[in-house]
Amino acid sequence: MPGAEPAQPVAQALRRSVGTATATATSAGLAFAAIDYLGVVSVLAYAPGATAAVAILVGGLIVLLVSGIFSELNGLYPTAAGIRLYLGRAVGLRTSLSVTFTYMVTVVLVIAADAFLIGAAVRHVLHEPAVLAYVWIAVLLGVALAANLLGVRLAGWVQTVVTYTVLTGTVVLSVIALFHVGSAFHHPLNLFGQGSFSGVQAIAFALFLYAAFEWVTTTAEEARAPRVITRALFIAPVLIWITSTLFALALAHLLPYSSLHGSAYPQLLLGQAALGTVGEVWMLGLTVLTALNTFNGGFLVASRFIYAAAREGNLPRQFAWLNLRAVPWLAVTTLAVVAAVVAAAVFATGQWLLLVAVGAALESGIYAIAALCLVVLRRRETRERPFTLVAGKPLAVFGIVIFTILFLATGFSDPKNARHFSVAPIGVIAVLAALSTGYVLIFVPKLRAAAAARTAAARPRRRPPRPDGGSAAPTPTDPITAPDVTEDPAGQAGPAEAAVPPRFRANPEIPPALG
Amino acid sequence: MANWDELGEALADYTVSCNENVRLRKMQRDWSRTLHFICSDTGVTFSMEVDHGEILSTPGGHVGTPDIVVTSESETFCDMFWGDLNPVQKYLRGEIKVKGSQEDVMRLDAISYVIWPDS
Repeated sequence: MPGAEPAQPVAQALRRSVGTATATATSAGLAFAAIDYLGVVSVLAYAPGATAAVAILVGGLIVLLVSGIFSELNGLYPTAAGIRLYLGRAVGLRTSLSVTFTYMVTVVLVIAADAFLIGAAVRHVLHEPAVLAYVWIAVLLGVALAANLLGVRLAGWVQTVVTYTVLTGTVVLSVIALFHVGSAFHHPLNLFGQGSFSGVQAIAFALFLYAAFEWVTTTAEEARAPRVITRALFIAPVLIWITSTLFALALAHLLPYSSLHGSAYPQLLLGQAALGTVGEVWMLGLTVLTALNTFNGGFLVASRFIYAAAREGNLPRQFAWLNLRAVPWLAVTTLAVVAAVVAAAVFATGQWLLLVAVGAALESGIYAIAALCLVVLRRRETRERPFTLVAGKPLAVFGIVIFTILFLATGFSDPKNARHFSVAPIGVIAVLAALSTGYVLIFVPKLRAAAAARTAAARPRRRPPRPDGGSAAPTPTDPITAPDVTEDPAGQAGPAEAAVPPRFRANPEIPPALG
Repeated sequence: MANWDELGEALADYTVSCNENVRLRKMQRDWSRTLHFICSDTGVTFSMEVDHGEILSTPGGHVGTPDIVVTSESETFCDMFWGDLNPVQKYLRGEIKVKGSQEDVMRLDAISYVIWPDS
């Protein structure tokens, strides 16, 4: 009879779970957005011609270290809230909140950047006046907002097909461009041709091409097994490496850098150069397809994070308001409005390369912090992991150093001129970090106090007291030091505390074979 | 550790609270799922069958193929089903573990949020 004896829980196979192909597509799809085409141009700015391929390869090798770090952290905390958990355990609750808030800003920046880039690309192909680009941006964000509010989700298989179509389509066109006669590679293996620091900056921007691939860890709870996420974390960078390398080589082969610099749609220029109008429409189609992943994944991840933060008491509770489709409508609407404002600012200033620099620096910073988490948690969390990074501590320390250098390299880069330095990217990040930290230090304690007072005043505890007078009150736990729930309670479970009440003994609706 | 009687009482109250909440039923009208629960401290297991937002049954043991598997301590489950704790806080602290899609995890929390907005 089920439930009568203390059960020995076994691993439960979910009705719907994510396998390696889908997880890999999710990882690659989150990373490969329209802004990546511009990212390749940023790499070319520091590593001209075929040298960009070297920078992208080195960036990819460094990203494999990131894969290892996130695989181990994900194995420790296989949950969508993983980043909050391991950051909280490693560096403290407040820091974890500040970092995750800043992280979410990156999502908004990417959504805004993609909206702008796609709007600009559509306007270009349709030969419309420049000002109409913003109309397209508004339309795109409006459609994304409406779809999210209506609870429309891309099915997993659609997302997989879209991702592989974008990657394959980019590869095929790049290969066609590479076989195009009449042009030649420029500056082969000239990694420091733009100054003594340019090689480091090229690698830092190459890292940006892979950025956000680690967000696949938020799907850990639906993965068939922990190794599915680990595989995705190692396979997706390879796919992005192949695609980005071929795209960079094709650009370097067919187009002079002067024609790419200052363009918001280098992929369309490549399509035009390789196959004329057909190539241009081809690349426009792929660019629009990237929006499906960015808007679907970005809105979903960010709005659910905002919802959880509001439910936890770290954001105003209004952000947890749900509409009748169980969508946190205020969170989704706010995201769309902020993205529209940022896109408008980019449209007005033409500073889209600044977004690339800020995004690249933020990702390097996040990777440095993830490496720090690994070092700290190797000491604090001794339990077994499904994946353990070989030579984890020295590699993580190396990661802290290398990602800090790359953070500074992109943070002080001049988006307009590869030979100059600028404080603009690091300035934007400093403002974002200051706002985030200030909010966590000043407003979060007030919000939490208000939430606690509201809960206490709203109603008394509903759970009846125990007849024996024993306390059934939930014990408050320190969010940082609270121990984990044992993964496998087999062997630790004590006897059932009492007899099974009648309602548990048999369920007439359930056939005996199932019950 | 909460015993079966306490869990059963909490589940019964939760079922009534869910099924009688008009707004929640409307919100969850497209949500039909099988949930499995595991008490990590006692090893006790039970299931919940939800059909178009209505909780049909909460039998003991694991019944059917789950869409969601929730693991926590029996006390946490009791308090959660009575609406005396905020599931998101426990989830974000790793004290409630869930296997399932992010959307389902949110829907599960939305039940508590709609019934007890101040929990």
